[in-house]
This record gives sequence, C-alpha cells and structure tokens, in this order.
Amino acid sequence: MLNKHIASAMLAIATLSIGLHAQEFKVGSETVQVHGFGTQGFVHTNDNNWLTMETSNIGSGAFTDAGVNMTMQIRPNLRIGGQVYDRKLGQLGDWHPGLDWALADYRIRPWLGFRGGKVKTVLGLYNDTQDVDSAHTFALLPQSVYPIDMRDATLSHLGGDVYGTIKARKYGKFSYTGYVGDQLPSVRGGYPYLLQIHGVYIDKSQGLTYGGDVRWQTPLKGLLTGVSYEESQVRNTGQLNPSVAVGGPDIMVPYWEQSRSQFTKTIYGTYTYKNLQIDSEYRYFWRHFTIFNGQFQAIVGTHAWYPSAAYRVNNWFEVGGYYSHFDEGWIITAPGQFEAPSESDPSRHIYDKVITARFDVYTHWYVKVEGHFMDGNAAGTNPQYPDGFYPQVNPQGLSPDTNALVVRAGFSF
Amino acid sequence: MKRYLFALLVVIGFLILAGQVQAQAIVIANPTVKASDVSKSDLRDVFTGAASSLKDGSHVTPVLLKSGPVNDEFLAAFIGKNDTSFRAGWRSLVFSGQASMPKSLDSEAAVVEYVAHNSGAIGYISKSTPHEGIKVLSVR
Repeated sequence: MLNKHIASAMLAIATLSIGLHAQEFKVGSETVQVHGFGTQGFVHTNDNNWLTMETSNIGSGAFTDAGVNMTMQIRPNLRIGGQVYDRKLGQLGDWHPGLDWALADYRIRPWLGFRGGKVKTVLGLYNDTQDVDSAHTFALLPQSVYPIDMRDATLSHLGGDVYGTIKARKYGKFSYTGYVGDQLPSVRGGYPYLLQIHGVYIDKSQGLTYGGDVRWQTPLKGLLTGVSYEESQVRNTGQLNPSVAVGGPDIMVPYWEQSRSQFTKTIYGTYTYKNLQIDSEYRYFWRHFTIFNGQFQAIVGTHAWYPSAAYRVNNWFEVGGYYSHFDEGWIITAPGQFEAPSESDPSRHIYDKVITARFDVYTHWYVKVEGHFMDGNAAGTNPQYPDGFYPQVNPQGLSPDTNALVVRAGFSF
Repeated sequence: MKRYLFALLVVIGFLILAGQVQAQAIVIANPTVKASDVSKSDLRDVFTGAASSLKDGSHVTPVLLKSGPVNDEFLAAFIGKNDTSFRAGWRSLVFSGQASMPKSLDSEAAVVEYVAHNSGAIGYISKSTPHEGIKVLSVR
C-alpha cells in the first residue's frame, strides 16, 4: 500500500516535471518570472526510526517538499519577489504552506546592496540554499550542520540585510552580509515536536536575531573560505501539561521559555577544481534557555563538522561522499535530570559516513541514491535537543547504530 | 559483416570528431554596453550572478543558450563549469531569493536577436553565426 503511494508520488513528479516549464507573464511592461521545484524522498533504515518517519520497517515516503516563486526585475538594480514553500517530513511540516521568502532587493553598487522583507539567512555555505535540493549532490546535506528536521531554526529572518562584494585586486575578493530582524522558527519543526514528550505544545516562536557572514574568494582559483556568526533571542510560548514532566495536575496551563544566550559560529571552505568539489564546515552552537515558565535552566552546546567531496563524471552522473560529525553536551537544572555522559556514549554523538550517486536523468529531473552509516544517535531515552532521532517514533528505545538508504527524486523549472 | 563494422567505425569516428570541433564561442553585447572588452573574472561574475555590472560601470544582463556545443564551450572556457553545475548555481540563487533566472534561448540566432534589441544584454554565440547589430567583446 505504502509502495503504491510512493510510486504514485514518483509518477506524479515525473509527469509534472515533463509538463512544467519556467513561466513568464507581464505586469505592465515588466516581466514576472515563475519558477518552482519539488522533491519526493524515500528512507529505509535497518534499525531506529529516523527524522520522525517510520523508516525501520519497509521504509517511509513521508518526505516531500515543494516551492513556487515569482520574481520581477523592476529596475536593473531593483528586484522584488516571493516564494511559497510546503513540506511533509514524517511528523514535521504537515502540509502547512508558508511564505518562505518575500523581499525587495536593491543593489546600489557591487559593494553595497540592501535586501528587506522575509530574507533567507546567510550562515555558512548552504544555510540559505538548503532547500534547493536540485543544486546539491547529496540527498541529505551533512546532518550535523544542516539537520533537515531543524531546517527552519535558522533559515530566515523578517528584517533586512546589507551586502556586497569588494574586489581586492591580486588578493581575490571579499563578500559580506550583515543582517538584523525577527527569527520566526516554525512551530511544526523538530524542536516543538521534541518538546511534546515533556507535555509542552509550542504555538508561537519568535525573537530578535542578528549576525553576519564574510567570505573570501582567494587568489587561488576555486578556493573560497569564510566565517559566519548568528545570535538570537528567541521566546517560545504555548501550553504545558505539568503532569507529564514536572509533576502536577493533568491540565493545560500557559507556557513560556526564553533564550538567555544563543549563538552559532561557523567557519567554512570550499574548493572547486574542474569537476571536483570539496567542502568543509565547522559549526559551534550554544544555547542557554530558561525553560518551564522560568523554573529551570537548560544549556546545550553542539560541535558539528564535515568534510565532503563530490565529483561530476558527466552531465548526467555525479558521485560524492561525506563524513559528518555531531556531538552535543548539556546541563539541565530540572530535578532528576543530569549532565551529559561522555562523548563516546551513543547518546552524545552521531558520526555519519555517507556515499551518494546522483543521476540527472532529464533536463530538470534527477534521482539521488544515498547510503548512511551512522554510529550513535545523540538521543538516548531523554534527548535534550533534536538530532534526527525522536522518542515519539522510537518507543521501544534506540539502538546505538543506524544504517539508512535514502532515495530522493526531484525536479525544478 | 565487415561492411557493417566499417560503417560503425566511421560513425563512431565522426561522432568523436564532431565532439572535438571547437565552436569558438565569442561574447556579444548590446551596443549600449560601453566596454569593448571584458576580463574573464568579470565575465564569470556576471554569468554566475555574482555581479550585474562590468568594471566600467555598464549594467549588463546575461542571456544564455539552452544547450549545445557553443554553450558547453563557453561555460568550460570562460566560466569554468559544466552545464549541470552552472545551472545548479543559478537555481540556488533563484530559489533562495538572491537573483532572477537569466533568459535561456533555443538558438544562437535568437541570442543575437535578443542581445541586439535589449539594452545591457550580454550573451555568447559561435564566431561563425551572423551577428549584425551587436558588438563583440574581446575577453582579456
């Protein structure tokens, strides 16, 4: 039955991809471009249900996303546009379409431009383009740095960017982005879903965010390196059933939690030589929250890094692989809680070895086949922060290791 | 049997030679573009969406060929990418709100026509394609 649904979805995507082409229409004398994309994935694991899907039996095809955008170049240096995005990833997303980005972009000079509205946040190599599956070799980007269940945690902000590129003659060129705005994480993402095991139901998540990115296109052809920093002050509000985690009556009461300090530091590099691309990125995430209506403190720190390599053999075939390292530590001041065990414990880390083959089978239509070999689940029985493995879909507990097969097909026009 | 084998070898030889023929891509621009030459670095920036003007301040809009040997040669020689990677780069920009997709045209004649009639347009064709009404930019 499930296979039938997956086959139907694949067929629908194939049909759509052949029928859909980029469209244009006129508003007055200006041209409006329409572009879109869609993907359908299937994930099978040998053990442990992954990414909130029931992956460990025959597998799950509850892994779909799509986006459509319109842009209009009003003047040579002024552009407006917006994109609607929707997804279903196991228990996340749940087919609630949202405004992915909507902005006005005014570039005064190559070294000075402004973007305002709902803007994708530049953070590391791929934060702002993580949904653009057709542009990536891998079916899943390294999950230590770009966890798909947490995609919207740092994805965009409602505010403004200042950006530009400065040429430094023989020293290459520098690009910068600075931003400030409101962060609006989805209430259908991995973190609100995880909190449900504690009887917490988040219905609003918002807060100030600011940061910047500087990248250097070095004089060595193909080598780019950069750093990013992002800080945010997020407040989550919703409902709490105290009987679940902290003891108390079986009723719903108002809930809030507030960040005292939350930041992400990233350093990265990418090198391209002919058809070979090598990327590497290191990300440190720190989060100190006041939780349970001010009763407790929760501190989480994660180290994530990966090296990856991809080689395009020809226009229809590409191979790649990466090693993704994730480890987290935590301290919770709630009664009965404890500090994290040593990093060698499977509940503290995920070391993921990945190999991928990508087939560009038609102009705008591709298929990726990917194997994941994961050591650790960084969750155990009481995970403090989302990392792909959730107790709700693993009621029997978690095994230390997981192997996964991911197949993802998509199109864009 | 020998005759078929010979015919097959001829066809294969022809295909190999056809693939090696250099299309000799040239860069063309609308006459409103002030520059008469362009650096490889500026060209790469314009055609990858990293810049929308040349060093002399001329605002330019790239126009692409959908496919073909001229397209492949231009991308390899001047941009340093193959077609799939090149278009993946543009999709990253378009779907993250950082750029509009350049116009992609089916034929070199259509590129000449578009460049001739649109202020600031910059494109590429093979040297042998008739190109009246536009200017040819030399690449430094």
